[in-house]
Amino acid sequence: MNAPCQWQGSRPASSAALPLRLCYSGPVVSTDEGRFHHRRETYQVGAELIGASGPVADAEVIALAARCMEAAGIRRYQVDVGHAEFFHGIMDAVRLPDDVKASVRSALAARDFVSLESLLEGTPLKSAEHELLLRFPALRGGPEILEAAGGLVRNRRSEAALGELARVRELLVAHGIGDVVVLDLGAIRDFDYYTGVIFEGYGPDLGQPVAQGGRYDGLLARFGRPAPATGFVIQLDLVSEMLTRAARSPQLPRIEAALAWTGTGLSTALRLGSTLRLFGMRTVVDTQARGGADAKTWWRAVGAANLVYCRGDAEVTWSAEGQRARNLPPEQVAARLAGGLT
Amino acid sequence: MDGTVSIALPTGALMHDALDLLTRSRLVSLSAEELGRQLLVDASGLRVILVRPSDVPAYVDHGAADLGIVGKDILWESPGSHYELVDLNFGGCRLVLAVPDASRLDGPETWPPLLRIATKYPRTTTAWFEGRGQAVEVVRLHGSVELAPQVGLVDGIVDLTASGRTLRENGLRIASVLGSSTARLIANQASMKTRMAAVQAVVAKLREGAGLDR
Repeated sequence: MNAPCQWQGSRPASSAALPLRLCYSGPVVSTDEGRFHHRRETYQVGAELIGASGPVADAEVIALAARCMEAAGIRRYQVDVGHAEFFHGIMDAVRLPDDVKASVRSALAARDFVSLESLLEGTPLKSAEHELLLRFPALRGGPEILEAAGGLVRNRRSEAALGELARVRELLVAHGIGDVVVLDLGAIRDFDYYTGVIFEGYGPDLGQPVAQGGRYDGLLARFGRPAPATGFVIQLDLVSEMLTRAARSPQLPRIEAALAWTGTGLSTALRLGSTLRLFGMRTVVDTQARGGADAKTWWRAVGAANLVYCRGDAEVTWSAEGQRARNLPPEQVAARLAGGLT
Repeated sequence: MDGTVSIALPTGALMHDALDLLTRSRLVSLSAEELGRQLLVDASGLRVILVRPSDVPAYVDHGAADLGIVGKDILWESPGSHYELVDLNFGGCRLVLAVPDASRLDGPETWPPLLRIATKYPRTTTAWFEGRGQAVEVVRLHGSVELAPQVGLVDGIVDLTASGRTLRENGLRIASVLGSSTARLIANQASMKTRMAAVQAVVAKLREGAGLDR
């Protein structure tokens, strides 16, 4: 599954104004044994921003990916942000025969720095670009590394990439996720696919990234509808692995309203429950009639934030944590709960 | 786990040199007996894990170890998502095509349309012959590979050799060299990113201990 593919295929979406924001969630079956050798079917969520280029769009997508990891319950996470053009610029600038360049690319793709070193050692001139390639995995850190790298590269493409990264970082600070962003100039990814800002999300104690994404401006043209695009995917199998391994298990979302009832109060409770759910509140209606004291015990057992006890249809008793119980008409309780009032 | 860096060492031929390297790098001084008995030792901020050589990449790729020391021959067989950082320059050996002394087989010009080869390295063997346009039927064996050509199972073997003595003793000679292997330092991809400072500090000490200064 891939959102841009759906965009290509779907008429209402393909005639919509750009930029377009798409998301998907579901199982992905891979025929490629290499990539998912232990899992053929994986669960993913992803999002794409199609038709917008530049740092503002890049930052929007990175911030969304970060918020998704957070919403998934990953407590400590890190987002590495790099740029494919930084690498392309260096490869343009190094003066090497084409076959050696091809070998350099495949050594880097395999993260094989031993081969890389011997390849570069065999070439006559040592340039700043050589040094950068050899130190690739260590080109990481805060905004200071952009300046350090800027002093070493002498080519337009890499310099432009550094400028864009600086801007994206500023925007991510404004998005409120500056503290989880690490700049990674040595990010090694599929450089034929990605054309601009790239990123990866890491959680604690898992040996691989849970989120991956970046700009792929060249892809959609291959399907006949050229448009700039950036997006990401989160591997839900890895998220669940991380959560189940964590020392503290993830908390279930809290129930907001527990509706207890007795006698004719049941229909009031059911009506009130429907209303609250329409407002997006997590609500349970009890399965059996209870007396007042029993209802309170049940409330505590359920762990809900509010108890509404329904005896008839004129008035219900509303108890919120730390507040005295009040008797109000059910509509008023619904309005206050939905409006976040106490 | 945050401050502790874990490193997987291989049992067998590379273990003593790997332990020497840890000592020379002033990381931890462990005897082979001690580690062999415990398999897992925590000492001065370093966790040392002893595993079978072919299991080192698995431990590192899955993040159970941040770093690993492993022969390049193992990496040929199990490429993964790890970083291969340093050639540690010990444990040198060659992966060779060996044939019986009496065999007519030698360089590529003497190979028949289909070669039968016994090996513990099926992946590397297949890739190497295919890269030379040679069809090959790989017979995967788990031990005593030298025996296979002598009893007519295969035309030759692809196996690791340091001195060539075992081959000679079994009436085999080297026809081609597929590659040279030495011990490598590998690192988990996420460790290199999420715990860079601690991992890089250990890598720097190991480089120094190995006599490399980069």
